[in-house]
Formats: sequence, C-alpha cells, structure tokens
Amino acid sequence: MRRPASLRSARMKLPPYPMIDLDLGAPLDRHRATVQKEWIDWNGHMNVGFYVVAFDKATDVLCEQFGCSWDYTKQKIGMTFVLEAHVTYDQEVKEGDPLRFTSQILDHDAKRLHYIHAMYHGTEGYLAATNELMLMNIDYASRRSAAWPDFAMERIEKLAAAHAALPKPKQAGRLIGISKKK
Amino acid sequence: MLVTLPYELPELVTSAPLDIHRSTVLPEWVDWNGHMNVAFYVTAFDQASGAFMRNMGLGRPYVDGKHGMTFVLETHVTYDREMRQGAPMRFTTQLLERDAKKVHLFHEMYHAEHGYLAATNETIVMNIDYASRRSAPWPMQAGERLEAIWDAHRPLPRPAKAGRVMGLTKK
Repeated sequence: MRRPASLRSARMKLPPYPMIDLDLGAPLDRHRATVQKEWIDWNGHMNVGFYVVAFDKATDVLCEQFGCSWDYTKQKIGMTFVLEAHVTYDQEVKEGDPLRFTSQILDHDAKRLHYIHAMYHGTEGYLAATNELMLMNIDYASRRSAAWPDFAMERIEKLAAAHAALPKPKQAGRLIGISKKK
Repeated sequence: MLVTLPYELPELVTSAPLDIHRSTVLPEWVDWNGHMNVAFYVTAFDQASGAFMRNMGLGRPYVDGKHGMTFVLETHVTYDREMRQGAPMRFTTQLLERDAKKVHLFHEMYHAEHGYLAATNETIVMNIDYASRRSAPWPMQAGERLEAIWDAHRPLPRPAKAGRVMGLTKK
C-alpha cells in the first residue's frame, strides 16, 4: 500500500545524494556573489528585486547545509517555500561590486526555519542590506507543508545550537513604519 | 525644492485604494519550484510602487530629467499563494502614511482571473535628490498630489497584514 506522500520526506533518514560537510561557524559565512549588470536599474544601482535574487542564493547555500537545496528538489523529495520576507536596504551597491553574505538561524520548528541574512560589500565591508525570512518545508508530491526530513532536522538543530549564542541582529523583528519626528 | 515638475503629468487618480497596475508573470521569473520566485514578487511589487509614484508625478521623466529618484528603504512581503508563468496580476495600493520625504505603501497582488490574494507588500519609499543622491523633500507639486491621495486613502481600514513582525508562533 502506498503511504501518504506527505510522510515520504519526514521518514527519510538519509537523502539519496551526498551531503556537504556541516559548517558550524556562526553565523554561516560561505556565500559570495558579484552584482550582475542586469541587476542594475535606471537609478544606477542594484534594483530592490535583485537584492532578493542575491539573498535567495544565500538561502540555497544555507539549505545545502542540511541537504534541502537543489538535489532535494531535483530528486523530487521536497522543496522549500518562503512564507514571508523582510528586507532592509541599508546602502547602495553597484555593478561589479563583490558581495559577502552571512546567515544566522533565529528559530525553527518541525516544518519551518526563521533566519536572517546580512549582505556586505565584499571589499569595503559596509552592510548593504539584510533579509529576514520564514522558510517552510514542502513535500514534493503533495506540494503541501511537511515536517523536515530526519536528516535535515538533525542538522538544523546543530546549526541552531551553534547560532544560539549570537546576539539577535537589530534588523530582525522589525516593524515597518514612518517614525514621527518629535 | 523643485516647485513645478517640468514635464507632462498623468491625470491624478484619487480612487482608494489605487487599482491601476496590471502585470503578467514572465518566464524568467519562474524558478526550479515551477512558480514565481520570491525575488520577482518584489520586482512585480516595485512596478506597482512605480505606478503609485507616477500618480504622484514622479515617473520615468523625473529620473531621466535628472530631477530626482525614489529609493526603497525597507520592504516586507507575505507570500500567500503560488503564481505560475503567464498568470495575470492585479495590484491594489493603499497609502498608509506619508511625511515630507517618504511614503508608506501597502500593496496587494491578486490573481487577476481567479481573484485570490497571491501576496502582500508593505514598503517605505523615499525621495532622493538626483545630484546629491541624498534624501530630499518631495517636489512641491508632487507633495500636493500626495496630499490629495492621502485625503482619499486615509479613511480606508488598515489592512490585516500590515505591520507584521516575523516570528514562529509556538503551538
């Protein structure tokens, strides 16, 4: 008998593909990129949408840590969907600028991951933007939310423990508004 | 401060919420999950912000004439339903707050045929002086149009998804 599709990924102890070595450096500081020509808008700087393109690649690098990146989807096991995102645009970046990303896990539960990326200018060092995200695990077959597979949860817990000592970034948990002058 | 904008302005729309922007999910906006990628929701919403700015009189001629620009300071997106390639989109935009240099906008993206809410975007847009690339008050004529828009939008109820702080609700 076919078991419910939504359980397929959760019962998986090991993925059918190799996982990379776990990096418990906190925050995760692995992703690098360069501002592409097509990311520039008529204001002569990286467009708001392409900051999120760039951050989404940093999410792939984070998900790779717990085996839920491209192979996870290619092998039709699962996907990860973003439920909510918050971006602060702190300083402009221009075509060709090198970018460095750090990623910090803030919280997690059986199906979701709450984290924040910071984007820095790779050589000048300034903070260019932050992106706080809520990510949910999705079962491939049913396209509905599902518990993280065992192999992922085990690593998420190790990453979360390694990140737990970090201070909460001031850009996390922000409420949007126009602050009134006194 | 620029008093009069030296180009032809579109007719002011004061219906509330603003319901003029339409778009379609492009093939290059779709990712390996077979739906519109998170980033391109922001791109699509940015174009809806562009429609709001045009209504204020701050469209492409504002930048091309080297008068000024508008920069997004912060943005918050809720992803409510998936959108596939070719899906038609309808956007509504509510002005939640404004000051001398900034607007606080709330966009909703709907599937134009099926009618469902696909996403929301709350965003702060600031006016920028072209030469100094620093924040500056709205040009006077744009500020006047903004006040007319504000008068129309002010009575609208505050959207339920506005003012969200992210977090996991513990069971």
